[in-house]
Parts: sequence; structure tokens; C-alpha cells
Amino acid sequence: MDEMERKLLELKNTSELMIDLAYSSVLFNNTEIAEEVIFLDKRMEEIADEIEEAILSMEPTKEVLVKALVLLNLKITIEKIGESAASIADVVIRGFSQHPVISMSLMDSEVLTERVEISPGSSLSDKALGEIRLASRCGMFVIAIKRGRRYIYGPGKNTILQEGDTLLARGPEDGAEVFRKLASGKMDYRDL
Amino acid sequence: MAESDDYINLNKIDMSLKELLTEMKDISEVIVDLAYAALMFDSEDIAQEVEDLEEEMDDLKYAIRIKAMMAARTKDDAMQLSGLLQIANAAENIANAAADMVRLQEFPLEQRPFLSFILKESEEKIRMTQLSSDSDMVNHTIGELAIESNTGMRIIAIKGRQGWIYDPEPDIKLRAHDSIIVRGTEDGFRELVKYTSGKEAWEPEEVATDG
Repeated sequence: MDEMERKLLELKNTSELMIDLAYSSVLFNNTEIAEEVIFLDKRMEEIADEIEEAILSMEPTKEVLVKALVLLNLKITIEKIGESAASIADVVIRGFSQHPVISMSLMDSEVLTERVEISPGSSLSDKALGEIRLASRCGMFVIAIKRGRRYIYGPGKNTILQEGDTLLARGPEDGAEVFRKLASGKMDYRDL
Repeated sequence: MAESDDYINLNKIDMSLKELLTEMKDISEVIVDLAYAALMFDSEDIAQEVEDLEEEMDDLKYAIRIKAMMAARTKDDAMQLSGLLQIANAAENIANAAADMVRLQEFPLEQRPFLSFILKESEEKIRMTQLSSDSDMVNHTIGELAIESNTGMRIIAIKGRQGWIYDPEPDIKLRAHDSIIVRGTEDGFRELVKYTSGKEAWEPEEVATDG
């Protein structure tokens, strides 16, 4: 994969994280998460600029021009997705996300966001996300971790969970239930 | 022509504000997955579904605007409902972006080989697997199997003898030779393929039934 494709991939991954975080910020009425979405939107603009520069530096053969056109179009649509996420986060920051119908509709959604704290004695503590493989074990995909006053957004395989961490994860209803049991220590992830 | 019904789908108007927003949020999520799937598998059928969903979003958008206006009694109501409409609008913009994305199919496949490569490298990937007749998932519903909570793979579309089913409901039964398009992590996919291929017996954990 060349530099530009790598950047496009980063742009895509960022836009997906932003959507997840944006809907979560509404659900939990959480300004801090909403601010992160706005921050990621700025980061997306930087990556988008870098993609444009990379396109401009290409040798303009016919083949390259077609590729540039496809890349540019894809970049624009991904940016649009990111901007939409930012627009959702903006509602939270303005304090306009408090109509009860809003959180009720998000709770009725097919994809839920669950927030749980890792209790003492949970099998999840001191384990790396890559080892626990929450997604393949119970369908929950971790989008953020709150540790003390700090958030870790879009954690990776090597992120190690700690007792007291609050995890934000997206997934189906029955998965959320298992996830709560894992975090509370009622269930061990190795038994799944 | 031009009865007002042509412009607004009336059964959307009958939905509640809550139902409308839930529907818009759900579509905004699945439509992006479908758009990437359309590009990856170069499928005109999936692209068509993306366009249909985008049109449905349009109906939902007008319905939710009307419902929100009817719900506002006070200035405070109006302020919070303006927030609701902004979220609905953002969901619709996501659908528009997804529809724009599938238009990249107008470029011949050989001119965008890197696209599917990028899509394969994403954290959560869109993949396709076919159900072998040996798989004991055959003749079970998606709900019974609780595929997502057991493997983390979310089914976004199924192609069977009767054609495509998009964003399938839990009561949809899987049949031998169905192709299923899923979204999720790499190891979740590997797990799923063990079962769809029939190499391993599907042993749902208590996940689905345990209250």
C-alpha cells in the first residue's frame, strides 16, 4: 500500500470512529466525547490536505489521473461522513441533545453503545484488548476507554485494560449483557 | 401527476418521532457498510440498495421535520427538537455520502483496484462467506444463532435463492449456499468461517439464552 492509500485508510477509520463516538456522545449526553469528535474532524481535514498534496505531486499520466479522480471522490465522501458526525457532536456541545425522545430512539437502535466499568476481580483487568478479543467473543467493539479523567479513543490491540476503567463499546443487545458480566467479574472471558 | 402523496410517503408520517429517529440512525450505519460492500464486491445490486435506502432517508427526513414541529409546545421544546432535527439531518447526510460513494462504480474496476485493497485493510472489514450445506447453521435463524454476539460479525446482507436481503431481521433463516456479507474484525471472521464452512459444529454459548 502506498503512502496515499495509507492516508485514505486512516481517513476511513477515523470517520467510522467519529460516527460511533458521535452517537455515544448523544446517548450519554457527554460533552467530552463530543469535543473529541470535533477534534477528530480537524484531524481529518489535515489528512485530507495531505492526500491532496500527494495527488498534486503525482506524475500526471492518464492512468494516474483516473486514480487521482477516484481517490479524490472517495476522500470527499469520507470527509462528508466525518462532517456529519461532527454535526451530531455539535448538538451535544450546544446542549440541544436533551429531548427524551433522542436518547430513547438511540436505545431502540439495532446497534447499542454500552458503558461499563471494570470491577475488581474482573478477568478483563491487566489484559490487552488483543488478547481478550471482546469483538469475536461477545460482539462488542471497544470505541473508547475512560481511565481516571482521561479518555483513550479508538484503543488498539495493545491497549491494556485496568481495573476501574470505564469502557464504551458498541454491539448487539445480547452481547452487551455478556460484556456487563465480564466487566463485573461474574463471567470470565476465557470461558467464552 | 403530482398528488402530495408523491412527495411524502404517508406511512412514514404515521411513525412516531422516536421510531423515525431510530430508523434514520440505523440506516445511517448500515448504508455505509453496504456502500463499502458494493465497492468491494463490485455489486450493482448492493449499490441499488444503497440508492433505495438513500431515497427512504429522504422520506424519513420530511416526516421527522413535520413530526418535530408538531411536538414543539414551548421554546424549550423547540430548542431541544432543533437538536433532534440536526441529528436526523446528519444521518441523512451520511446516507447521501454513501450514495455518492457507490457512484465510484462508474469507474471501471481495473481503474480502482486499490479501493478494495484499502477496504481489506480497515480495522473492521466487510467480508463475504458462503454457507456450506455441511454447516449446522443451516435452517437456523440469525436470532437463534446470535451470530453477532458469538463472533462479533454483523450480517449486513444475505444473498440467497430469492435474491438479496439487506440488514436482515433476527427471524431470517439461513439456508445452504446463502452468501452472507458481514462486518467485523479479522479474528471474528476466521471464527465465523469455521462454522459457515461446516468445519466446526456451531455451539452457541449461553450468550443467547442466558437471561
